[in-house]
Amino acid sequence: MASSPKTKRAASNQDRIRSLLGQYGIGIVLIIMMIVIAIMEPRFMTPGNIINVATQISINGLLCYGLCLCITTGGIDLTVGAQLALTSCIIGQTMTNMQWPAFLSILAGVGVATLFGFIDGLLIAKFNMFPFVVTLSMQLVIRGLSQVITGGRAVMLTNDWFTGIYSNKLMGIPMPIIIFVVVTIIMYLMLHWTKFGRYIFAVGGNVNAAIASGVSRFWVIVGVYTISGVLAGLASMIYTSKTGSAQSNIGVGYETDAIAAAVLGGTSFAGGIATIPGCVLGIFIIGLIYNGMNMIGVSSYYQSIVKGLIIIGAVMLDMVMNRNKH
Amino acid sequence: MKKTVLMGVLGAAMALMICGSAFAEDTTEVPAEGVTYEADVNGDGKIVVGYISKNFTDPFHAPINARAQEYFDQAVKDGVIDEWTGLLDGETDANKQIDRAADCISKQCDIVIFLPAEAEASDPALVQMADAGILVIEVNSKSASCDEKAIAYVGSDDVEAGNMLAQWVVDNCPDGGKFIHCNGILGNSAQIQRTEGMHEIMDQHPEFEMVGDFDTKWDGNLAADAASDSMSKYGDELVAIICDNDGMSSAAQKMCNDNGREDIICIGVDGVEVPLQMVQDGSMKATILQDGVGQINGAISIVESLVKGEAFDPAPVIPFVLVTQDNVADYIQ
Repeated sequence: MASSPKTKRAASNQDRIRSLLGQYGIGIVLIIMMIVIAIMEPRFMTPGNIINVATQISINGLLCYGLCLCITTGGIDLTVGAQLALTSCIIGQTMTNMQWPAFLSILAGVGVATLFGFIDGLLIAKFNMFPFVVTLSMQLVIRGLSQVITGGRAVMLTNDWFTGIYSNKLMGIPMPIIIFVVVTIIMYLMLHWTKFGRYIFAVGGNVNAAIASGVSRFWVIVGVYTISGVLAGLASMIYTSKTGSAQSNIGVGYETDAIAAAVLGGTSFAGGIATIPGCVLGIFIIGLIYNGMNMIGVSSYYQSIVKGLIIIGAVMLDMVMNRNKH
Repeated sequence: MKKTVLMGVLGAAMALMICGSAFAEDTTEVPAEGVTYEADVNGDGKIVVGYISKNFTDPFHAPINARAQEYFDQAVKDGVIDEWTGLLDGETDANKQIDRAADCISKQCDIVIFLPAEAEASDPALVQMADAGILVIEVNSKSASCDEKAIAYVGSDDVEAGNMLAQWVVDNCPDGGKFIHCNGILGNSAQIQRTEGMHEIMDQHPEFEMVGDFDTKWDGNLAADAASDSMSKYGDELVAIICDNDGMSSAAQKMCNDNGREDIICIGVDGVEVPLQMVQDGSMKATILQDGVGQINGAISIVESLVKGEAFDPAPVIPFVLVTQDNVADYIQ
């Protein structure tokens, strides 16, 4: 029996809703979290605190985008925490101890992070080495280099322009939010609107098919790890500006939050699946976990447990809501 | 191509190892000048000193390690001792420190300077060295069986540091108010004792209310976030931020100052470069200096006494110092 146009339209609407839920169901988790925290602590929803959260998530946000690209190609980048330390040390050493102009110091720091990202990509793509092994080893090299540069000492940053990167505002909006939004737009356009973005999905989804279709696996892999390096360098610039101090022991374990945000946002470890809007939601969830626990006043002894359980719960809820897709 | 690169990488690694061992051999060639010291516990005719650091990455430990390196390199050259292990990296990890302790036993060390990462978890390192007959001097913090197994402890009283943190807040906020506490890594002995010391004083002052006890892991970034969250929540009611170290207090103070809240008192412990400079330029009122170099100098002086067969004080206490604008010039490098 042929279905009526009305029935077809209803089925199509259902598919559309299911598809939207599939892609952005984690957004509902975010909204639930916001409501729960706001009920427990009404001051959570003040504009000041919302801007505060958006400012705080910028560092993890930039790291998350880099991880998202690497994971989408079927890899991982474990160097991002160490990259934070190295870029910070280079910026501190050149700006404070060698009196370089702030812009040049940033360029040097981000440039070195980019170079290490490129080397990671080169080792993975050229020699077919496992991304986990390459980046695990490389983070030791990078962390060691940052110790050599500073001798383990902290370097103070006094340049007002540089320290203002975190605290200054443009039309009332803190600079880290502006940087984060600009990077988000660039990443969205790159991943979802360009040929390079489609190649990333192709390499992660089915590398043999991608190669057969004429995609250069080498340049895609090198490209995503280099971009991850650039983003880690920029994140370090914000971090160093925020604390006003460059030191080699920062960023330990920061890759964990970045990976968690990417995975919460729907990035698949199987490769080939990711969305930038999904990552944005994941980044906000991670930021809200920290901010929400601080606002509610969860004891520090329980914060780690709560964080882990919320991540597991959010992913499970997402899976339940999108049962068909999974 | 792959093989060539692989050979190149392995070759470079081997060359580095050979260079490293060549440097190590240089130190062993220095003669003991035929003098037998009481410190030669294993009777092999050589005085070998080990040094197990807490880590190489923390700015507080950098000058401690640098001082040890400078002294023992010179001591070997001068023939005061025969060998030393160089700086062994404990990586702030009890497991790694226990491994380094085994290395010291294998190297037949007579004396080991040990900076425990953890009170309980690092203790097996001390126990196995002491059981092997090594004279262990603990520095900076005590492991669980320090009083029974180590021959000396040179350090500061972290409970006293906690008292000083709280007293500074009490003295500078006479009307009381809300404050938050930023912890080091939970379970670390310095975190536990400084927190204990802080509570000893603050609990006697009902005009103060602790409204947040954050797991900030010695991390300035997390302390800055805790500061901005608390300013957002409590506004003008927030009067102070007490931190277990001053890497966190300086980051928290910068966050407060950037938000026009220079009135919030932020204070922490250690006296590393950045907080000292902030005290000097007036952007932070005070910090508590832990004299790390003084602590390692105390340990060095015990090693010298052992080598000479002289008596020494087994528990010298290096006091914490409140650093304000009045005396910061004495401590800043």
